Amino acid sequence: MNAVEELRNTLHPKLQAVLEKRGFDDFSEIQLRAIPELIKGGNAILIAPTGSGKTESALLPVFHNMLSKAHPKGFTALYITPLRSLNRDMMNRLEWWGKELGIKISVRHGDTTQNDRRKQATNPPDLLITTPESIQAMFMGKVLRKHLAGVRYVIVDEIHELAASKRGCQLSVALERIVELAGDFQRIGISATVGNPELVGKFLCGKRPCQVVAVPVAKTLDLSVRFAGEGFGEQVKLIEKCIDSHTSSLVFTNTRSVAEAIGNALVSREDIDVHHGSLSREVRVDAEDRFRNGQTRGMICTSSMELGIDIGQIDHVVQFNSPREVARLMQRTGRAGHRIGAASKGMILATGFDDILESMVVVRLATENRPENVRPHINPADVIANQISALAVERGEISIENIEKIFERCYCFENAGELIRDVIAQMEKHYLIRTEDGMVITKARARKYLSLNLSMIADEKKCVIFDVISRKPVGTLDESFVISWISSGAVFVARGQVWRVLELEENKVMVEPAKNAKGELPSWEGEQIPVPFTVAMEVGALRRTQDFASYRSDERSVTFAQKTLDEMKKNRSITATDKLIVLEDADEGVVVNLCAGHKVNEAIGRVLSILISARYGSAVGIETNAYRFYLRLPKHLAAPDVEEVFHTLEPEHVEGILQLALKKTSLYKWRLVQAAKKFGAIDADADYEKISMNRLLELFDGTIVEREAFRELFFSNMDVEGAKEIVRRLKNHEMETRTSRLSVIGAQGLFSERDMVTPPGEDQAIIESVKHRIAEQDVVLACMHCRKWKSRTKTGRVAEQPVCPVCGARLIAVLKPYEEPMFLALKKKTLTTEEKEAEKRMMKNANMVLSSGMDAVIALSGRGVGPDSAARILATFAKGDNFYREILKAERRFVQTHQYWG
Amino acid sequence: MEPEFYPTGPAVAIERREKVLAIADPHFGVEADLHRKGLHFESRSALRLERLMEIIEESDPDYLVVLGDLKHMIPYVTRQEKAEMPQILKTIRRETEFRLAPGNHDTGLEHYLMQDELLPASGAVIDGTGYFHGHMIPDESLFGHLIVCGHHHPVVNLYDDVGCALRGTPGYLLAEVDTKAWTEVQTESPTRVLLVPAFYELAGGMDVRLIPGSKVSPIAKAIRPETGEVFLKDGTYVAPFTELRPDPLEAK
Repeated sequence: MNAVEELRNTLHPKLQAVLEKRGFDDFSEIQLRAIPELIKGGNAILIAPTGSGKTESALLPVFHNMLSKAHPKGFTALYITPLRSLNRDMMNRLEWWGKELGIKISVRHGDTTQNDRRKQATNPPDLLITTPESIQAMFMGKVLRKHLAGVRYVIVDEIHELAASKRGCQLSVALERIVELAGDFQRIGISATVGNPELVGKFLCGKRPCQVVAVPVAKTLDLSVRFAGEGFGEQVKLIEKCIDSHTSSLVFTNTRSVAEAIGNALVSREDIDVHHGSLSREVRVDAEDRFRNGQTRGMICTSSMELGIDIGQIDHVVQFNSPREVARLMQRTGRAGHRIGAASKGMILATGFDDILESMVVVRLATENRPENVRPHINPADVIANQISALAVERGEISIENIEKIFERCYCFENAGELIRDVIAQMEKHYLIRTEDGMVITKARARKYLSLNLSMIADEKKCVIFDVISRKPVGTLDESFVISWISSGAVFVARGQVWRVLELEENKVMVEPAKNAKGELPSWEGEQIPVPFTVAMEVGALRRTQDFASYRSDERSVTFAQKTLDEMKKNRSITATDKLIVLEDADEGVVVNLCAGHKVNEAIGRVLSILISARYGSAVGIETNAYRFYLRLPKHLAAPDVEEVFHTLEPEHVEGILQLALKKTSLYKWRLVQAAKKFGAIDADADYEKISMNRLLELFDGTIVEREAFRELFFSNMDVEGAKEIVRRLKNHEMETRTSRLSVIGAQGLFSERDMVTPPGEDQAIIESVKHRIAEQDVVLACMHCRKWKSRTKTGRVAEQPVCPVCGARLIAVLKPYEEPMFLALKKKTLTTEEKEAEKRMMKNANMVLSSGMDAVIALSGRGVGPDSAARILATFAKGDNFYREILKAERRFVQTHQYWG
Repeated sequence: MEPEFYPTGPAVAIERREKVLAIADPHFGVEADLHRKGLHFESRSALRLERLMEIIEESDPDYLVVLGDLKHMIPYVTRQEKAEMPQILKTIRRETEFRLAPGNHDTGLEHYLMQDELLPASGAVIDGTGYFHGHMIPDESLFGHLIVCGHHHPVVNLYDDVGCALRGTPGYLLAEVDTKAWTEVQTESPTRVLLVPAFYELAGGMDVRLIPGSKVSPIAKAIRPETGEVFLKDGTYVAPFTELRPDPLEAK
C-alpha cells in the first residue's frame, strides 16, 4: 500500500467516498505531509506553490474532524481570507464539497445581504467563509457571539499578506477574543513562500506550538531573464511571442497603467484579456472565466492575480520589468505548471540597465530560495486602541489585567507592557471609554465609534483627476498618494499617461498631459513596489564584480549591461556599487548614486535635504528611486558640498532629524489624523470648519498618538534602520564616497522610462480632443457695425468669413455665451467705464475676425482666450496642429492664473 | 500711548493713565461644541486660564477687558460652561478688575457677572480707548477713538518665493473706519480699529487680507484698506495692508 492509499484510508468514509466521486486519486506533496499532521489537531503554517492543493490540504483534515466528532451548535470552522473576491472564489469551490458531505457552508462579508445575514444568525453554517473585518462586526451581535463560541477550527488564507499589515494585527487580537468565547482551537495558516515561516507561525499562534509544513517553491522554479528591447513596440512583440509559444500564459506587470498600455497594444487579439484592481468586478470575473475555459490564452495582470484565485492551468508566467521583490517573483511564477512534478516556467522581460541587473539578482535569490522576510507591525498603538474599545463594547466592562492578558497572547503585542495602559489613558482623554478601579468601561459613543472603525484599512478618500485639456475626468487617485506626491507642477503617471498637476482642489486634481517628464515617476494608487535593501545591495555588488556568468540571463541582457558599463569606463565615470556612493553634478542639483533601495534612499535623501536646507537656508527638492536620489539645489551648491554634509551625519541622529523633517509634511499629518481617528479623538465625519487643523494636531505633541504616527511612517514609507546602517558603513569605511560629473547610470534615474509607458500618438490624441472641443464650443456671433444682429451657434458651424444678415457688414465679433448680456448693454447711449472696456475688446475681436477669418474664430473660441491672447496666437503664424498647440498654451496660461471653476 | 504686545496670549496692553490688558475671544467651553462636531478632546479651559493668568501677572494691569466671546456655546449655557465659568471668573477677579465687552457668544452669561463688569454690547470708552466686541455698529461715544475689537480672529499668511512661509499665524490689523454709513457726526480725529487675534488657541481664523470689505461685521465693511497696517502677535510690523504679498497660487 503506498502513501496515498494509506492516507486515504485514514479519512472518514464519507470523505473517502466523496474523493472518489470527485476523481481525486492522487495527493500532492503538501497534502501528503499536511493532512496527517492536521488530523491530529496541531497548529500549522502550510507553504506550497499556489494551486498545488494547499486549500484541500487544510480543509480535508478539518472536514474529517468535523465529520468524526460531535460539535456544539454555532460556527464550527472559520475560513478567513483578506479579500471578498477570494471568499467568493472559495465559496464556488467548496459548494459541491459541502453538499456532498452534508456540511453547511456560507459566506459572510461586506456584500452579504441582510437576508443571508439573518439566516446565518438563526441557523449558523458549520463553516463560515469570511474576512477579518466581518469577524470584528460579528463580535458586536449577541447571537453571533454565541455562534463564535462554537469555533473549533480557524483557517487563515494568504496569511503572509495579513501578517505584514495592521489588519493582521487586528485579526490576531480577534482570534484571542474568540478564544475567550470558545476556548482554544486549531489554527491553520496558508502562506506563500516567505523567508521567515516560523515568524508567520508565531503571528498566527502566539506562544502556542505551531509547525511549518513547507514544500519549497524554489526547486520547481525554472526562471530566466531576457532583454525586452528598448522600444515599447519591440517589447510588446516579445510579449506576444511568449504568449503564442504556450497554451496559457499570465503576463504580470508592476503597475496597472503598464498592464493597460500592453493590453491596448494587443487589443486586436481576441485571446488576450487585461485584469487589474481598477477594473470592475464583472470585467474581472469575466476575464477569469474566459481564461479558465480556455477562451483566452493570455492574461495581462497586476498583483490582483497574485493571490490564489483559481483560474485553471497556467503553463508560463511572464514578468514584464523586474518584479523587485524575490517573494513576489516566487509567488507569481509559482502559479505556473501545477501538475505534480512539473516545473513552474517563468521569464522576466527586463528593459534597461537597472532593470536587467535587478532581475538577475531577483532570479538568483529566488532559485536559492531566499525570499524576503515578512515584517509584522510590532505594537501598533492604534490597533490596541481599536481592540480595547471593541472589548469594552463587547462586554460593557473588562478589567485592564484581562485586556493585558489577551494582548500578551498575540505575537505583535507580546511585549506591549506599559503601552496598553498608556493607550487606555489616551482613549480616556478622548472620552471613548472610562476607567474605574482597574476596569475599562464602555461609553455611549464607543459603539458608534466601533461600527465606523471596524477596519484598520485607512479610510481613504478618492480624488478625481480632471484633465483640463479634454475637460474630462481621467480617473481617481488615493488620498494618501495625493498627499505624499502631488503638488502643483508635480508629474505623475495614471492611465498609462504622464500628467502634470496644474492645481489642487479639494477632492480634485487638475492636470494636463505632460510630455517631458524627468525622474522616476510616482504612479497611481500606491502601486510603487519598493526595491528591498538586500536586492539593491546585491545589484551594487553585481555592478562591482560584473560576474554576469553566475546569473541566469540571455546574452542580449548581458551585452546590454556590459555596454552601459563600458560606456561608463569610456567616459571616465565612476560606477556606484555596494561599497561606493557616487555623487554627481547634474544641471539643477546633485545625483547621489546609492544602491540601497527605495525606502533607505528616501530616508537618507530626506535627512540630507533638511540638513542642506538648514545649513544653506534654501529649499531642496528631492526625487528618489532604488539606486539613486536627486537633490534639486541652488546653483552654488555642488557634489562636494553634499558629500561633506553626508559625512557629518551620525547614525544615531538619523531618526531625530527625520522626525523633525517629517513633522511639517502633509504625509505625516495624514498619518496622524488616521491614528487620531482610531483613538476616538476625531470622528470619520468630523467638521473641521473654524478650526485650525495644524493647531489641533499640535495637541498630540508628545502623546502616544504622535508616536504611533511616526512608527507607522517609518514602517511603511522609509527605512530608518537601513539608513543608519549606510551611515555606519560610511563612518567605518566599509563604504566610500566619490564625486564626479553626471554619468549615464546617474542620468538613468532622471531620464529613464522605467515603469512608464507612453502610448504612441499621445500628443496627437490631445490635439484631436482640443479640435473636437473647440468645434463644439458654443459661441455668439455679434455684428459690431449695426449692433442689431447676434446669433448663437457652434464654432464648427461658423462660416469662413461671417457676414451680418442685417447690415451686410463683415465686422463680426465671436463672443462666448457669457459675454452676450454685455453686448446687449452696448446699445445704450452712455456707457460705463466697464462697458467701454468691453466695447473696445469686442471691436478688437471683430477686427481680428475680419482680417484673419476662420483662424481668429477658432483661436477666440479657446477657453479664456480673449482678443489679446488670440492676437498672440495668430502672431505665431502656426498652422495645422501647431496652431492648436498655441491655443493650448494660451489656455494653460489662463488655467494657471485664474481660479474660476467651482 | 504705545501698546504692549504679549505674544503668548495673544494679548495687548494699552496704557494712558490706567493700564488695560485686552484679550479677544477666549471661547471658554468650546470643547463641548467640538465634541458635537466629532472632535473629542478634554477641556482645555484650565490651560487657557493659566496662560491668561501668567500674562496678567507679567503685565499687572488695572483692568482686564475681554473683548467678547468669553464663553462659546450659543444660544445657551452648556454644562461644561456652568461648571467652569464661576471658577474662571473667580480666579481672574483675585488678580485684577474684570470687564467684558459682550460678544455674540456671551448669551446667558449675565448671571455670572457682577454689575460693573458687563459693558454695553455696543462698546464703552475706558481711559480714552474704546473696547468693543465688533459684531455690530459701535456706540457713537466710541467714534474718534481707537477702538480695540475682537470677533474677527485675524490671522496672517506670509509668502516667500517658493510658496508659503508662515500660514495662519495670529496677527493684528490696525485701520481707520469710515463712519459715514453709521452717523453724520464728524469727529476731530479719525476713528480707528485694532482687530485683536483670538485668545482661543484652536481658532481657525480669518486671513487679514479678506477682512476689509467683508460682510462678517459692520466694522469689517467700514474698514478703509488704504489705511490698514498689519502686525504679528508679538508686535512685529509686517507691512501696510495694501502691500501684503498675495498668495502666489492665487490669481494675479
